[in-house]
Amino acid sequence: MGLFKRLFGQITPGKNKVRILCIGLDNSGKSTVINWLKPKKAMAQDVVPTVGFSVEEFTKNGLSFTVFDMSGQGRYRNLWEHYYKEVGGIIFCIDSTDHIRMCVAKDELDALLEHEELRSVPILFFANKMDLPQAVGPVQCVQNLELSKITDKPWHIAASNALTGEGIDEGITWLGTQMGRAARAK
Amino acid sequence: MAQSSSGASDMAQQGAQWLQGLKETAMSMTQREKKDEDEGYSPFHGLQKSAVLQECRCFNDREINARRCITILTKILWLLSQGDKLTRLETTEVFFGVTKLLQAKDQQLRRLIYLVLKELKPSPEEVIIVVATLTKDMNSKMDLYRANAIRVLGAIIAATDPTLLAQIERHLKQALVDRNCFVAASALVSGIHLMHVNGEVVRRWVNEVQTALQSDNQSVQYHALALLHQIKRQDRLAISKVVASLTRTPLKSALAQCLLIRFAKKVMEEDPSGETRDRALFDYLEASLRHKSDMVIYEAASAICSLTNVTQRELSPAITVLQLFLCSAKPCLRFSAVRTLNKVAMVHPIAVTPCNMDMEGLINDGNRSIATLAITTLLKTGSESGVERLMKQITSFMSEIADEFKIVVVDAIRAMCLKFPQKHRVLMTFLSNVLREEGGFAYKKAIVDTILIVIGKVPEAKEAGLAHLCEFIEDCEFTLLSTQILHLLGMQGPSTQDPAKYIRFIYNRVVLENATVRASAVSALAKFGIQLNYLRPSIILLLQRCLFDNDDEVRDRATFLVALLKGIEGGGVGIGGLNARQLLMEPLGLPLHAIEISCKEYLAKPSDVPFTLANVTVAPEMLQKERKAAATKAATAAAADNPTTARAAPERHVEAEADLLSKLPQFVHLGQRFSSSKRAALSESGTEYEVSCLKHVYSSHLLLQFSVNNTLEDQLLENVTVAVDVSSTPGLAFESELPCSAVPFGQPGDTFCCLRRVEGLPIGSFGCTLKFLVKDVDPAKGMPEEDETGYDDEYHLEELEIAAADFMKRVPVVDFREAWDTIGGGCEVVETFSLSYNSLKQAMDAVIDYLGMQICENTGNPAESARTHTVLLSGVFLGGVQVFAIVNLRTDSAKSVGMRLTVRSAEMGISQFVASSVA
Ligand SMILES: Nc1nc2c(ncn2[C@@H]2O[C@H](COP(=O)(O)OP(=O)(O)OP(=O)(O)O)[C@@H](O)[C@H]2O)c(=O)[nH]1
Ligand SMILES: [Mg+2]
Repeated sequence: MGLFKRLFGQITPGKNKVRILCIGLDNSGKSTVINWLKPKKAMAQDVVPTVGFSVEEFTKNGLSFTVFDMSGQGRYRNLWEHYYKEVGGIIFCIDSTDHIRMCVAKDELDALLEHEELRSVPILFFANKMDLPQAVGPVQCVQNLELSKITDKPWHIAASNALTGEGIDEGITWLGTQMGRAARAK
Repeated sequence: MAQSSSGASDMAQQGAQWLQGLKETAMSMTQREKKDEDEGYSPFHGLQKSAVLQECRCFNDREINARRCITILTKILWLLSQGDKLTRLETTEVFFGVTKLLQAKDQQLRRLIYLVLKELKPSPEEVIIVVATLTKDMNSKMDLYRANAIRVLGAIIAATDPTLLAQIERHLKQALVDRNCFVAASALVSGIHLMHVNGEVVRRWVNEVQTALQSDNQSVQYHALALLHQIKRQDRLAISKVVASLTRTPLKSALAQCLLIRFAKKVMEEDPSGETRDRALFDYLEASLRHKSDMVIYEAASAICSLTNVTQRELSPAITVLQLFLCSAKPCLRFSAVRTLNKVAMVHPIAVTPCNMDMEGLINDGNRSIATLAITTLLKTGSESGVERLMKQITSFMSEIADEFKIVVVDAIRAMCLKFPQKHRVLMTFLSNVLREEGGFAYKKAIVDTILIVIGKVPEAKEAGLAHLCEFIEDCEFTLLSTQILHLLGMQGPSTQDPAKYIRFIYNRVVLENATVRASAVSALAKFGIQLNYLRPSIILLLQRCLFDNDDEVRDRATFLVALLKGIEGGGVGIGGLNARQLLMEPLGLPLHAIEISCKEYLAKPSDVPFTLANVTVAPEMLQKERKAAATKAATAAAADNPTTARAAPERHVEAEADLLSKLPQFVHLGQRFSSSKRAALSESGTEYEVSCLKHVYSSHLLLQFSVNNTLEDQLLENVTVAVDVSSTPGLAFESELPCSAVPFGQPGDTFCCLRRVEGLPIGSFGCTLKFLVKDVDPAKGMPEEDETGYDDEYHLEELEIAAADFMKRVPVVDFREAWDTIGGGCEVVETFSLSYNSLKQAMDAVIDYLGMQICENTGNPAESARTHTVLLSGVFLGGVQVFAIVNLRTDSAKSVGMRLTVRSAEMGISQFVASSVA
């Protein structure tokens, strides 16, 4: 293997593939975020509430992503954990305008953080719907969800507008780097 | 309800697999041999579940290795098909693993994913996770995705939440007429499964299904026919219309044709007009015998052979094609033909004799299953002279065939013994030989049963048979058989030439066997002691040795029986008022279960009065259960090619059941039953509620037993009674009724009405009204909604008639003239009538019916041309009075018959009543 390839280890077959899980309460904008990441021609015109889950694929920064976009509705939430095994990263969508259900989001997040299989898996938060007037900022989200208490895994929060894509690239780039690092460490 | 519908779908599925099934059965022998030679013939042989589950972890890998996953999924399917069970947790793990593979594009992998999702049967809470993905696949451009997704979704919906169907109904409906046959067939199959859980929705697809029925594709047409049948299942008329029209325009698909043959046969069998055969349909079956496909020919032949009451003439074309199959090069055809002929031979041996030559050719068939069936068929059809030769042949390979075929052989031998009783020695020897060889319970039981039947039917075989059985129990590992044989020895042994020789065998059991067998042996010994005075002292001695047995039951029996026998020895007939002989040698008149319940009740509320059998009562539900049990017993007896007992059994049973009626707590006071009438229908068959009535006469009561059958699938009847209006029938008073708590669709129930005879012998007719509470039922669920309160309703029935014949019992006398003279003319009544009947015979039958008496001395058959005739009748009237009648008949004109009726009895009133009853 040449020096070039060794430096950019992602290019090795199999290693440039990652599987991530997109979760968060229903209506928080998960599918909209993923939709924006898809190639232009694969994009859906309108996003409908997800039933069960759907598998989507896209490439970003030389990494090819397979995303399990889970449904956030109540009866599906306890099925999330069956998809934790061997995942490379988590996207956790927060509807930053939904003040009332912020505590529900916290409960779900706490359960997730407890999970052994997700130890040291990088987790990216989107404080979504930042364009709306009632939206609270990322700092407020960090406080509400007590994110500063997370110590065993890398995490990052980005304010986003999934309709325009604002903030999303930044977040995904962070996630890509984190996962690349984890992969090289293996 | 769920049961009957699953039966129908089974039929549809069997259709697809029948040929396969036959092939497998036929090949099983060769397969089995192969397996022995070559242990590791399957690549998956000896696969460990835990190892496979371990491998499943790779489903979580970032990059899916299609090849590897395909192998693993195949292994999972193999395990599941071998009957390996995954625990809930394991299922969950595998299921979610497999859902992660749904991102894969590999066609082969994809197909296996669908299969595994379907076979895993995940829990409803988990399975919802894939519903959306599958719905998406159902609309995919790929036929493979569409077809499979439909199947999986159909299976999931059927197993979890039928209401989901509404969401995908539109897609399914479209798929039914999809251009791709795989997709269309998948939708049809799903429809068949969904029919059971959400029939309402599926019934709306009837137009699409009709379209699919026109398909050129074998499988689509076949499944469309199956589904169409399911949809119309409840409507007998619609079904027969569909079948009739399809039989006129031949179907392209041979599979569909086979199915149609089955449906046609069912329509013929269920034809309400009963007696006459639907000619058009029979012609269709016969025409199918000339089809170009072997499968269809066989199906038609087998359908004809299994028609009820099939005649020799109807059979012959079917037998002819089966005969051709016998010489086929394909083992599968030979096997199916010989198997069917074997069955026919049980009922119509003559019809099968033309095949005897070809059968002979199969005796040495390399496939032992075929050879066995050929020999057993020959045993049934052949002449007495061939028996020895065939027995020798079969003995030569008895050890090579499987138990199930050995049972076929034993069955054939049973039929032989009854047909050629002189051959019992050869056959018994054969039976005793095979009894000594290795074999499973079912096989051994068949042998023992056969010996028991032969002993019962062929008296000369008794001694030898008992000896064989004695020898068998010396070394029998099946408790059930040992006890059965010990019981038989007890019943039959004492009446043999040398009863003493059985004692040793029986006593050996007391020494050597388990407690259950020991207890039976103790009882058997006592039976010898009761019947044979000279053996009694030694039996008592033997039984006394059992008094210290360590088993309670054995000890209790021994203690009781010793006391009983000592009682007889002291000159009594029994103990504590119980007749010993009756106690031990005769069957109980009550269901054991009823006695058990009564005992429990007695123990719960002990009283000073000792428990007696006379106080045992029977609950109505138990009566129903008894009847069902008897019906199945009769059916199996009929199946076991024993037509005489099969026919006699139900009659005997009706009597026994009627005797139990006065054991119903409400009716204990009625006392001994005098007689029961024939069943009279109070509504036409095929109406909403079919009601019939049995009249039971007691010394001062009339108990009306109404059987109610609810033919409406969407109704549940509760608190069902029949109100009888006795106001216009003097001498009868309503006393009590016993409602039937619930009559669901298709499960007849009984309700009772008890009338008291206030005075005289009331005759006449009175109005009956069925009264009940109706609850609406969703046919798909088979149950009414929780909150359904129902509404009261009534249904008018035809009038019920009480005639003089109801108070008369048909009892024959040995010598009519002698009886007639003995009773004398003191209470004789003579009446003359002119009856308007067209023939002597008609008039005679009517009179006998009116009187309800027994024809004596064979006087019931007037010669064809006779213008005069005399009938002798006897009977016993209510209260036990013997009645005799002489009926002189004379043809007066073309339309009238003259009659003189002379009645004699010991009571003038009764003679008059009987004589006037014809008027
Ligand atoms: N204004 C605004 N609306 C958004 C944004 N992101 C998503 N939405 C809207 O929010 C609604 C829900 O979005 P989804 O992507 O379906 O939400 P989800 O998290 O996938 O929901 P489930 O699949 O039910 O769990 C949609 O109507 C989106 O158009 C955003 O950044 N800004
Ligand atoms: Mg979504």
